[in-house]
Amino acid sequence: MKRLINTAAVVATAMLLASACSAGSGGDSGSSGFEFWSFTGINQKADVEVYRKAHPDVPVKLTEVGSTTETAQALTAALAGGKVPDLVLIQGDDLPKFMRSPENFVDLSTLGADKMKGDYLDWVLKQSTTADGKVIGIPTDVGGMAVAYRKDLFQAAGLPTDRDQVSKLWPTWDAFAEVGKQYVRATGKPFLDNTPTSIFFQAVNQGTERYHDADHKLSYDRNPQVKAAFDLTLKVFGTGISAKQSSFSTGWTAGMSKGDFAVVSAPSWMLNSIRTNAPGTAGKWDIATIPGGSGNWGGSYLAIPKRAKNPRAAWAYITEMQSPAGQLAHFLSQGSLPTTPSVYTDPQLVGRTDPFFSDAPIGRIYTQSVVNIKPFYIGPDDATIGSELLNTLTSVEQGKVDPANAWDTALTNVRNALRG
Amino acid sequence: MTITLSPAPAAEATSRPGRYRHTQQGWRERLAPYAYVAPFFLLFFVFGLFPLLFTFYVALFDWDPIGERHFVGLANFAQLVHDPRFWGAMRNTFSIWLLSTVPQLLIALGVAHLLNHVRLRAATLFRMSVLVPYVTSVAATTIVFAQLFDRDYGMLNWFLELLGFSHVDFTASVWGSHFMIATMVAWRWTGYNTLLYLASLQAVPRALFEAAAVDGANGWQQFRHITVPALRPIIVFTVVTSTIGGLQIFTEPLLVNPVGGLTCGAARQCQTLTLFLYEQGFGRFHFGYGAAIAVVLFVMVVIVATINYLLVTRIRSERR
Repeated sequence: MKRLINTAAVVATAMLLASACSAGSGGDSGSSGFEFWSFTGINQKADVEVYRKAHPDVPVKLTEVGSTTETAQALTAALAGGKVPDLVLIQGDDLPKFMRSPENFVDLSTLGADKMKGDYLDWVLKQSTTADGKVIGIPTDVGGMAVAYRKDLFQAAGLPTDRDQVSKLWPTWDAFAEVGKQYVRATGKPFLDNTPTSIFFQAVNQGTERYHDADHKLSYDRNPQVKAAFDLTLKVFGTGISAKQSSFSTGWTAGMSKGDFAVVSAPSWMLNSIRTNAPGTAGKWDIATIPGGSGNWGGSYLAIPKRAKNPRAAWAYITEMQSPAGQLAHFLSQGSLPTTPSVYTDPQLVGRTDPFFSDAPIGRIYTQSVVNIKPFYIGPDDATIGSELLNTLTSVEQGKVDPANAWDTALTNVRNALRG
Repeated sequence: MTITLSPAPAAEATSRPGRYRHTQQGWRERLAPYAYVAPFFLLFFVFGLFPLLFTFYVALFDWDPIGERHFVGLANFAQLVHDPRFWGAMRNTFSIWLLSTVPQLLIALGVAHLLNHVRLRAATLFRMSVLVPYVTSVAATTIVFAQLFDRDYGMLNWFLELLGFSHVDFTASVWGSHFMIATMVAWRWTGYNTLLYLASLQAVPRALFEAAAVDGANGWQQFRHITVPALRPIIVFTVVTSTIGGLQIFTEPLLVNPVGGLTCGAARQCQTLTLFLYEQGFGRFHFGYGAAIAVVLFVMVVIVATINYLLVTRIRSERR
């Protein structure tokens, strides 16, 4: 009931603000407010509420457009010739497409981003900086990596349950596969949700280069690191520890609730997905470090379109909410990982635990995985290449592609996709 | 629809006395009918015809909606011919269309015949309940069906296991996923077509059925020699509309297998042409390539609908 009232209040406020905005935009071009497009499901409202409380004179019109992809699509349509927002959140995977046409966005270094550069992880900011130094987006969060495992199932299989001991079990992916085999022998049940997402997408993000070489040329077909991650995935699949449930499918959700697999690779944003898809498993999970030690998957950026009516107001919001202190506050309330390393040693972040995951110190575990990352170049086609490689590996799991031909099939699929 | 109403305009035409034509009327009155239909045509030009023609134009470009665009002539179409993903989508589209449309119309015909039976009790209840799937949200239907067909936890596989068969991974295989989507489409549209058939069946004089019964015709003979011939015009209509709809199935493949993004599965096993179009145009922002797919789809629908129309009308005239 309380939530309902809150929602009603927010909706009513939003409508009031909307009418105030549209009334103001008629004659008063120097209005102090701005329009903000974000995704659904990440509770952006909470951040905006904080800002509204601090600045009651600044009307913020928040629109939760849809999923990350839908938001990027709406932004594309808007940039192509519609009404653009003043501020927009872009997911990391979608960013390279927009980086290809930087003229659509305000170069944030003209507003003062160059002075804040030192606040952010350099490899994260590098992804939103063009070759000639234009800053297109300010990173709001990163998707550090870890592994979520079921303590109760580990105990039943005779494996250690303490998160530090579990982390020590798998310094490498090969050791991880060995633990999986042990689990399967003891229980007769699969160990891991699937290999394409839980192995390939993690391992390929741990390299020093991904689908491009140092000169930003496509190298997915000759980079030994990509091939190694691909072969590793096939090898782990061959050991028979996979439940073959594709991430986010109905079977994946059901299997997670029923405890039909014990381990899921979990970028920081995945924790929320586990929490909502398997609410009955609260307290049974714990979090260990990822084999290989580091990695990032996900994260988002705030950008200001060139035709924004009020870029100053949007920039004021960015500087306040995305400062190290702002990101720390956001982490403490919402759980997404800051991009500002100065707060990684803050006692509040280090001491932050999550009861759903047996009070695991999520702040400490996840920040460890992102500080040592070597940045690699991400191009506009990376999302396409990644999903074609992932899809081929999924076909292997579904028995539709022979593992022996998988690499050739994958390269053919990528080439077809890049041509189109 | 116009086909079923054909007696009405004819009656109107004969009853219209000639003197109207001779009356000198003002230009206002002569223009009035055009003014009345104008709103539709204006909206059609803006939201129907213009986008259609503009799609043809975009198909000739390498068109990035927020970046550069280059004229490439027919290169998009040439590329399409050599794109295995396009031919896969073509196969999927036709297969799903056939698997859904044929059984759907046959079942609708049978159900309409049963619902038209004189001795049917609570007829309105049954007639209305066939429409329930049609008013259910497609998204909701799709999510429920995806769960029913699930490999490990689906009800269908639970039954298969009871009967001693091993589990079938419907979503992963080509035919399994086509069967699954076709079932959803048929489930949704059978009731709608049943009501169309029923409406036109009710215009058939009861006396025909009664006379046939008196002459000793059984149910099947009545169905074959009275129901089907009486329904021929509406059958043509439903075949054409369900062809147009069936070749453009989108929501079901989009939602049934969200794994792999916009491809309806890891191997694009159930990606239809409309979904491929969407993937290229709005997933990857290749507007030109997407538009080329749209043009091909448009041409294909016109051709198939025409062939269907000719086939069905020819069967009609032969039987007469």
